[in-house]
Amino acid sequence: MSRYLLRRLALALITLWILATIVFVIVNVLPGNVGRAVQGPFASDQTVHDFNHKIGADRPLISQYITSMRHLVTLNFGKSYASDGSVTTLLRKALFRSGKLAFLALIITVPLGIIAGRFAAKRKDKFADRFIVMTGLATSSIPEFVTAAILQWIFCIELTWGHVLANPPDGTSVIGQLRYLLTPASAMVIVYFGYIARMTRAGVINALDADYSRTATMKGLSGRTVMRRHIMRNALGPTISVVGVQIGYLFGGIVGVEKIFNYHGLGLAMLDAIGAHDIPVLQAAVLSVGIVYMVATLLADLLIAYLNPRVLIEAKS
Amino acid sequence: MSMSGIPPAGDFSALAATTPAPDVAPPAGKIVSDRKQARRENWALIRRRPGFIIGSFISLVWIVCALGGSHITPDDPINDIFPTHLKPRVGHFFGTDKIGRDILSRVMAGARDVLIIAPLAAVIGVTLGTIVGLVMGYKRGLIDSILSRIVEAVLSLPVLLIALLALTTLGRSNTVVIVVVALLFTPVVARTVRAAVLAERDLDYVTSAKLRGESSSFIMFREILPNITGPIIVELTVRIGYAVFTVATLAFLGVGPKPPSPDWGLQISDEYTLVAAHIWWPTLFPALAIASLVIAVNLIADAVQSVLSA
Repeated sequence: MSRYLLRRLALALITLWILATIVFVIVNVLPGNVGRAVQGPFASDQTVHDFNHKIGADRPLISQYITSMRHLVTLNFGKSYASDGSVTTLLRKALFRSGKLAFLALIITVPLGIIAGRFAAKRKDKFADRFIVMTGLATSSIPEFVTAAILQWIFCIELTWGHVLANPPDGTSVIGQLRYLLTPASAMVIVYFGYIARMTRAGVINALDADYSRTATMKGLSGRTVMRRHIMRNALGPTISVVGVQIGYLFGGIVGVEKIFNYHGLGLAMLDAIGAHDIPVLQAAVLSVGIVYMVATLLADLLIAYLNPRVLIEAKS
Repeated sequence: MSMSGIPPAGDFSALAATTPAPDVAPPAGKIVSDRKQARRENWALIRRRPGFIIGSFISLVWIVCALGGSHITPDDPINDIFPTHLKPRVGHFFGTDKIGRDILSRVMAGARDVLIIAPLAAVIGVTLGTIVGLVMGYKRGLIDSILSRIVEAVLSLPVLLIALLALTTLGRSNTVVIVVVALLFTPVVARTVRAAVLAERDLDYVTSAKLRGESSSFIMFREILPNITGPIIVELTVRIGYAVFTVATLAFLGVGPKPPSPDWGLQISDEYTLVAAHIWWPTLFPALAIASLVIAVNLIADAVQSVLSA
């Protein structure tokens, strides 16, 4: 187990390093003058030059690269161009808020998707199955911001169940916050539910066909026990990896949802940074999502290994 | 199917193996006609699926709108000005926006940008991904290991976030959107194609081509490629769906087409705050337009996928 863990961890770190390098290339190597972009077209050449000198954009690329890697290792991403404040402080709160929204979306989506997928698998090719699969396909293909805009109109404006702006005032209780966050979270639930349902459905259909479930049924276990102990345990593997991957992807879709609900999370911080051409904030935000993704997929792999120890043996060979 | 880059479920290697290498090579003409016939049968199967019919019909409506542009819209989508924020009514079935432009006309004309950008980005991305995937799967070795790590790293981030970063540093224009989205699709396509190539590369027809002394590029593009068109076509239809999704979102986030373009995402971005004042129509109609197009493309992709990877 520990060897498997170490191997997975090493791979995750290498991936993160490559990711950081790609981000560095996009930001620093591609053509474009940061100083000119930040200071605007009317700034004097001297102002632009001074700005580039201040942020170190005039240093050799290799030394900029080392600085940016040091930022990643220490998780201290330097100063924002726009506010002069520390990028890490700025993003920590935003990441926490987005995390809260993503977490709420996940704890609704995952059970719902698993139940729907299991339900569909048991009725394979019947109407209920077709209906769940087609609905999932349709809703998961619509961009999150479109779903969010429509839900906001229906639930927050016409029905006034939720709040149009999703920022709860400081000190709102957890239950009180739900009224703010439930509508934006639902937009993400609608989009991600389809995948989880589809993965679970495929996994359960496979497991239902497998010899071990027939054996379990033939040795006299009740249908429920077979489902819980044999089928779900095997079928959930792919579902859990999809959830792990989706935690990272949630942060892509969340940008549009946060804009619709003006929620001050990571997505809105990124959009502000784009407006102000605040590259350090943008870069750090992208890398934070990369880190979230690594941690989530790592945890998912560990959970799969725990549920199904066969994975460990296969990894060794 | 959605999300900036979640790979489609399913392993296509089984599909690739459905064209077995015959023990005794039949005359070249026969193989070609078999392949043609298989293609015709698949097409007949795809054409009959209800998802494909519905999806094609909706897509066709939007393609007509995109081609017709301001020639077929009831009013000029940019220059005709009426009273602002008229509710939907006879004469303005979708109402008017904050400048007083007819929303039905703008929704119709708004199909054009996305229907040019998204398919183009998907085609370029799938072409590049196919080349990279063929090289990875056929050559293996160090180049495959290095490219696999890079693919892995790019896939670890939502396409949308890298696109935002790239468009901010490079500046926004339709060309940049196409290039960025295409490059971000390349890794996931490469991974699919690589898996298909791995299932093919040890088959007899590849070995005999090697023994004949054919060059690597001949084997990759003339021998293996024709046998893995199934997964590549599936990948293309799925990618067009993702591309529409991504391009619409980028436009909404403000890094796509610029005003006064009638682009759907841009229209929503311009007016979504007014929904709180019960002015819902300038947001709802472009939103439904995006939804209908992505669902249509995904219905087609789903039909193609279920026939070609069955």
